[in-house]
Amino acid sequence: MDYLVAGFGNILNFHTLLWIVIGVTLGYVVGAMPGLGKGTAVAVSIPLTFYLEPVSAIAMLIGIAKGSGAGSAVSAILINTPGEPSSAPTAQDGYPLARQGKAQKALKMGLYASVIGDFVSTLILIGLAAPLASYALLIGPVELCAILLFSLTFIGGLSGNSMIKGMVAGAFGVFFATVGIEAETFVPRFTFGLLELDEGISLVPMAIGMLAVAEMVNQAGNLAHLDSQAAVMLNGTTADDRRVTGAEWRRCLPVIAQGSLIGSIVGILPGLGASVGSFLSYGAAVRTSKTPKLFGTGMIEGVAAAESADNAVVPASLIPLFALGIPGSVIAAILISALIMHGLTPGPLMFKQQPQMVGDLYAALLCASLVMLVVGTLGQRIFAKVIYLPNRLIIPVVLFLCCLGAYMETSSVFSIYVMLFFAAVGYLMRKLDYSFITFLIGFVIGPKLELTFRQSIQILDAKVSNLGHHPISIVFILLTGITVVLIARSHRASRLLEASETN
Amino acid sequence: MNQGFPLSGASTRRSILAAGAAFAIGITAFLPSLAQADDYPSKPITLYIGYGPGGQTDVVGRGVAKVLADQLGVPINVVNKPGAGGALAASQLKKEAPDGYTAMFHTNSVVDADPFMSARINFKPDDFDYAGMVTAFQQGLAAPKDAPYDSIQEYVAWAKKNPGSVFGSLSPLSKMYIDQIAKREGLDVNVMPLASGSEMINALLGKQAALVLSGGIHYRYPEETKTIVATTTFRHVSAPDVGTIDEAGYGLGIDARTTLILPKGTPRDILGKLSTALKATETDEEFKAIVSAADIPIMYMDLDQAAAEIAKNYAKNKAIFEKAGIVPQ
Repeated sequence: MDYLVAGFGNILNFHTLLWIVIGVTLGYVVGAMPGLGKGTAVAVSIPLTFYLEPVSAIAMLIGIAKGSGAGSAVSAILINTPGEPSSAPTAQDGYPLARQGKAQKALKMGLYASVIGDFVSTLILIGLAAPLASYALLIGPVELCAILLFSLTFIGGLSGNSMIKGMVAGAFGVFFATVGIEAETFVPRFTFGLLELDEGISLVPMAIGMLAVAEMVNQAGNLAHLDSQAAVMLNGTTADDRRVTGAEWRRCLPVIAQGSLIGSIVGILPGLGASVGSFLSYGAAVRTSKTPKLFGTGMIEGVAAAESADNAVVPASLIPLFALGIPGSVIAAILISALIMHGLTPGPLMFKQQPQMVGDLYAALLCASLVMLVVGTLGQRIFAKVIYLPNRLIIPVVLFLCCLGAYMETSSVFSIYVMLFFAAVGYLMRKLDYSFITFLIGFVIGPKLELTFRQSIQILDAKVSNLGHHPISIVFILLTGITVVLIARSHRASRLLEASETN
Repeated sequence: MNQGFPLSGASTRRSILAAGAAFAIGITAFLPSLAQADDYPSKPITLYIGYGPGGQTDVVGRGVAKVLADQLGVPINVVNKPGAGGALAASQLKKEAPDGYTAMFHTNSVVDADPFMSARINFKPDDFDYAGMVTAFQQGLAAPKDAPYDSIQEYVAWAKKNPGSVFGSLSPLSKMYIDQIAKREGLDVNVMPLASGSEMINALLGKQAALVLSGGIHYRYPEETKTIVATTTFRHVSAPDVGTIDEAGYGLGIDARTTLILPKGTPRDILGKLSTALKATETDEEFKAIVSAADIPIMYMDLDQAAAEIAKNYAKNKAIFEKAGIVPQ
């Protein structure tokens, strides 16, 4: 604690603050641009951090990660092209809100939810890193497999109008995720002899194609309609459309609290990532809502749920990094190399050998949360003007950024082909009303479920009885079973209700 | 007949033109390379790294890029080209001009071991030139600290008594190791697949795996992990008391050294300049701090030593993989 206070003293100088602001701003701008993501931004900034002292360097990189989490909501809300896959659920309700003239409201809620989620998660990181990380180690493959199985039941809340179509899309997501070298026997699956596909279809170009490019093609086919709508909606009619009202705060706060918690847990667990966090939080918000049917039509809670969890994942994913030296995410992996490049070894030793350094970093993390609020508030005013632009100007710019983002992911043209392929898939899914959210969930969770299942079989020595040593996983398996039964029942009940109403 | 003459006339003329063009291209291609060797480098150099940012090779590569930039006086542009464990970047490098302005920083395994594991790799060590080697990864079999075995012999004895114990496998190479050991000793070991280095550490720290093949990152956790045998041909700097797998009589020692790889046909003068510049990594304080934080010892080799090392490894790996009956997939 003393170190934290001293840390504030160390970082509250022009130089360090400047780099935090630069990091957050860069992250926010990059996050707000469809196609460009935080992974790319952080990677591109690494050489620059060589020339900074360690705290400024790490603070800047963390600033980018945090800022882009908040920024990605902007394009999701304004033009329905999430800047990161993790903001896909944000667009579900954020974009309808913007189309109703409530863009300002949605943007503000997105930002506040982001900042709160981020702040809560940062506090958890500072206060509980060591005990939580050692507890997270108990979550081995067997437990993780059961947790992932349980999280798949959330697809129900996200599949849109038709549960069947949602599940079909989810299955396709799993299918596309099987491409690549299988991890146990190293047999290439569906690679067609292409070395480029050995490591599977990369999430970033796939998500860019499906979320951004496909949406732009879709909007291009709708130009006249959208432009005439834009003329009417612009800025909303009343002041309440431009701000978050007290009643909305009351509805959203529990959702934000829930989202921050889900995001933090997902962040601590190894290798799940921000997308899983925001999907689960959105799904949970739908499940706990009194009016689940209204989600997708412009529920402010949807934005709050997705964004709070999305941003809570980033600081929480640093918990295994600080406490154990294990990267919980791509960003954390890059941070490890940035720390090493400054001669520091992340992990428990860092707390012992350089406690002041850790204190400084924690202070910088908290500082970045506040900077995010300021940058976001200012940034929104500028980015919100995008909505005044006619679509014929937006679409080419977005398509250009998408190509750039896909290319930068791997420095190869192949990523652009991947992007185009999934743009076509995404377009068809939009036209045929299949949920690309469940597709993404299948794509993200499917391979992890497969891997942890294979790992579990080896750990359990292929005997179900050995499951007895893993009580956590038994709990989640039971929860999964109960949830599935409940979903089936509520479905039958609602169908009976509809049937009786039509009679 | 009438039609034949003009045609053949045209084709002769065309072939003369083509020969002339080829000659001209040959000259122009030759001239700058002569000039280049003298004032090389006169423009930024692109350095491929065959992994995404954040891994061990990436960290060393970026450190090396900085040393090279200081030594050569031109910027080094690091480009991450991940895919197929570096094979994708190497395939791309093979197509680049051998002028010393495009190079790749990677472990030697991509050219001298990977071709035995993947049928889709279309290059051999002879398809590249080598400017030198910088560091060697401390690959070895690692176990949780409190495991009841400290050497490979003790592990084998323990695993015989505990059938169904778990080995964490991160790559075809790790699977080859455990398969070979299990086959020779008659062990019943469950091979659990792992997706990443951090998952491997998780499995060790969470004690889900009794043994893993580590690329050396477990040395960052001296209080939670230990090395039971080095799978390199040398003993590890970080654990000098632990024997190598060759000392234990398995003959499976394979080294992974970070190598500066260039397209075939790069002039020897240019390779020499790069080789000399690489040697500065031995004395560069900043670079030494980076690799010591990552527990990766510097073991510099110049261009001739590097070429010999690759040739030696290729022959040894060929024997190992053929004996193991591994068919490239």
